Amino acid sequence: MSEEVKIIEKKEIPSGAVMIFGFPDVGLVGVIAASHLISELNDLEEIAYMDSKLLPPLIVLHEGLPHSPIRIFGNREILLAVSETAIPANTLYTIMYALIDWGKRKNVKMMISLSGIPIQNRQDIEELKVFAAASSPEVLKMLQDKGVEILKEGYMVGPQAIMLQRCATLGLPALTLLAQCFLNYPDPEAAAEILKQLTNIVGIKVDTSKLLEKGEEIRLRARDVMRRTQQELSKMKKAQEYDIPLYVS
Amino acid sequence: MTEKKRRSIFDIIDNYFESLEEWAERIMEGLIDKPSWNQKACTMEPLRNIMITPTEVIVTVDLPYTKEDTIKIKPIDNRTIEITAKMKRKIRFDEFGIIHHKGEFETLHCQTRIPVPVYMDKMEVHFKKGILEIRLPRKHEYTIPVE
Repeated sequence: MSEEVKIIEKKEIPSGAVMIFGFPDVGLVGVIAASHLISELNDLEEIAYMDSKLLPPLIVLHEGLPHSPIRIFGNREILLAVSETAIPANTLYTIMYALIDWGKRKNVKMMISLSGIPIQNRQDIEELKVFAAASSPEVLKMLQDKGVEILKEGYMVGPQAIMLQRCATLGLPALTLLAQCFLNYPDPEAAAEILKQLTNIVGIKVDTSKLLEKGEEIRLRARDVMRRTQQELSKMKKAQEYDIPLYVS
Repeated sequence: MTEKKRRSIFDIIDNYFESLEEWAERIMEGLIDKPSWNQKACTMEPLRNIMITPTEVIVTVDLPYTKEDTIKIKPIDNRTIEITAKMKRKIRFDEFGIIHHKGEFETLHCQTRIPVPVYMDKMEVHFKKGILEIRLPRKHEYTIPVE
């Protein structure tokens, strides 16, 4: 494990689980989806957390007790890594590598990143699409068999990009789900869509009705995390996802 | 005598853009590092975004949990607009789990500076899914003739 990043285990970590990432990105899709998973699946508990001097000097207080902003929740089937703060762009590689390498040591059978893909005129779109990209042709085929639309060409920037590339290198099955969403505004509807697709892929049953009911309150509450996330997204040149690639074959 | 190395025009341009980026970053950090709420005025600041196209400026403002008929858009001067919207109900700090601040909020409020000249009187406004969209045609004050 990297000297700069430690993952402190609080409980026994199940082997053979699916590891899911819900990190701050466009529309806060992953974070909102992960928070909803934690509140809906009653058996998800904090089993590990990240300790690193690379993170900003902050803790998150819950019931008066300190918590790391990056924590891993789990049950027998899933490990859910979630961050409650925007991750500094210059630390993203080290942090993602540490989490992925830790997951590999815990014999994770698949890694899934939940995120968004910004779309112009998002407010005019009623049915949001969810796209996917994979770390290997086998995972890609599995996604196609389940009817998931594949993001065939383009640039990907952020935690999900690092995850796919690292998992491809390590030979670990991985996929990224990207729901169409707002670029700069929290998007609970997109989070609900991505959770439906997660159910389709790994069979985790989660009711998204409360997420949609409370959507406006979530948007109000998520403003500050979104503002800080925007700042980091701009540092990692997120707008490059809009670029048309020049293919070298 | 020390020999002064001449800088190429590309180095100068690179340095210019680097310093511009640093400046923008500092401005952005300055905007962020303040509370997104005003306890005294009972207001919260909404998220907003500005897009500049060759013909218009599009301002969007995220106004969740507000009533459409309470939205007010007021030009402060020829480059600034003020936006207010009443929330569906008052929201207290303790509803967010915060008890070390007291207060409640009933309005989303912000002032936005438009970076280029626009026709304020030709403003078009739409509101959908809690997103306010303001379209302002650009005012082109001069043109450079192509010979």
